Amino acid sequence: MTEHVLSPQGQQCLQALMRVWFEFERQLGRVPLLQRLERGQFSKADYCQLLLNWRQQVIEGSRWISRCASSFDRDYSDVRSTIIGHAREEHRDYEMLERDYVAAGGSLSDIQNAARNIGTEALHGFLMYRASQPNPVDLIGAMWIIEGLGQKMANDWAAQIDKASGGDGSYTRFMRYHGANDDDHMQKLYQLIDRLCQSPAQLSSIVRTARVTARLYCLQLEEVEHDY
Amino acid sequence: MSVYINSTGHFLPGPAISNDEMEPLLGYVHGKPSRLKRRILQSNGIQTRHYAIDANHNTTISNASMAARAAEHCLTGSFIGKRQIKMLSAATSQGDVVLPGFGSMLQAELGLSDIELHSSHGICSGSMMALKAAFTNLKAGEQPNALVVASELTSRLFKASRYEAAGTELDFNAEFLRWMLSDGAGALLLETQARGRCFRIDWIRSFSHADAYPVCMSVGYPTDSNHSQSWQDYATYAQAEAAGALLIRQDVRLLENIVKLGVDGYLRLISEGRVQPDKVDHVLCHYSSHYFRGKIFDMLQRAGVGIAEHKWYSNLYSRGNTGCASIFIMLDEFRRTQSYKTGDTIVCMVPESGRFNNAYMQLTVVEA
Repeated sequence: MTEHVLSPQGQQCLQALMRVWFEFERQLGRVPLLQRLERGQFSKADYCQLLLNWRQQVIEGSRWISRCASSFDRDYSDVRSTIIGHAREEHRDYEMLERDYVAAGGSLSDIQNAARNIGTEALHGFLMYRASQPNPVDLIGAMWIIEGLGQKMANDWAAQIDKASGGDGSYTRFMRYHGANDDDHMQKLYQLIDRLCQSPAQLSSIVRTARVTARLYCLQLEEVEHDY
Repeated sequence: MSVYINSTGHFLPGPAISNDEMEPLLGYVHGKPSRLKRRILQSNGIQTRHYAIDANHNTTISNASMAARAAEHCLTGSFIGKRQIKMLSAATSQGDVVLPGFGSMLQAELGLSDIELHSSHGICSGSMMALKAAFTNLKAGEQPNALVVASELTSRLFKASRYEAAGTELDFNAEFLRWMLSDGAGALLLETQARGRCFRIDWIRSFSHADAYPVCMSVGYPTDSNHSQSWQDYATYAQAEAAGALLIRQDVRLLENIVKLGVDGYLRLISEGRVQPDKVDHVLCHYSSHYFRGKIFDMLQRAGVGIAEHKWYSNLYSRGNTGCASIFIMLDEFRRTQSYKTGDTIVCMVPESGRFNNAYMQLTVVEA
């Protein structure tokens, strides 16, 4: 792990964000679907259900992040560049997810026509609202959670899913792909924290948005198994 | 009311056992040398440890006797004798007998009369829970002193014959702790009156996360199970043993969570104002393995609350990982051999991987 030199304010923010992350991981540990994954009692059908519910959030993810970029004014043009780059990299990730779904035995029309998970509705609604505010500095908190989750998928979940469902990695490409550029992404995130967290008020709004994002993300995962 | 650690003691059974001497003593499972031993020892960094069993697998001293020896060692350096002790708070992960509580057996072994008794049960953090029970009892004015003792005799679980009884193949998770844990005991004397140069207990706090994480270290579940059945559920103990339900296991995959949770607790204590990172002079952390020391270092550093390397003290490498006894054995050796001055702040950390309970304590060096 490389050392990241941050300003005192940035460092405080990072400490608070780490705590939000650890709390989020514990919240995830209480989600029944993920508890079953931990125990290895997780089938291909469970995995398909997860992807089916995940797709919408991946699609919406690139939308809020693009809007977030456009809401930064010229004083933040450097931030805008970074975020546009990030949005560009990820805005078609959902296609990879769809291919995984099909490779795992699902049908393309099912995943494309599935109703939105209600956690996704809430998460997306919140993030689009925040992204529409002028200079939405607090969204660094949302990126922190979502980036962290990408790492967790790549480092833990993909292998666990393959092991439990007898896969060979051929249908967990979307999850694994997120591990590929980890260090680079984290480095950019640290730089953004330093750049965007310069006052106590900004710190608390960043942490608040991280907490809301974490909670709604969890809701989304809790809802994966919630049929009507 | 303040509570002080006025004396400490330890007991380590038999001679120090080097890495090369371990397997001849514990035995070759199915007559074959371990293929994992070297890798695990390299990662944990332990050079020597002690065992309360000999090469013939006779127990040379019981767990309760080890605990008593540590307590006596502690009292030797104190201002009070056995007859003045008012409370005994004891911890172990596994006593010599299943029942009664370890504290009762230790009380008899030590010959303490009319005391208030507490036994705590868990894994590495058991000693901190026993210490907290004594600390709060004294703080509430219920008693003027307490002897707190933690002892472990895990080597009995590591005899080759135990693994052989559980079947043919030895899995990594079952073998892992064989090269990690060893035996020993530590003791602390708490009093509400400071005597000489001693440690004031500023606070003890723990955070348990069993609701959010699966079991990581256990005895009682059969090999490859979904944890629906435990050793108690078999018709006979022989069947439980044959199913591997009496082996001690570590789910190594889950182990890294301990680092995050350890750092999480530390950050919480900082935000509560209990720990002021720049005021910490010494850190005694019961990391089970050198491997984790680096990980904890890095993560604290990244959070900007890193603690300079020279402030860390551990005797893991020479005394071994003695489970819940480790932190007391460490504090005892620190007190006897390291240099510290009045006003110094000592932070102790005990992250337990059993089902993730992390305990912390802050001490201040005072001079009465």
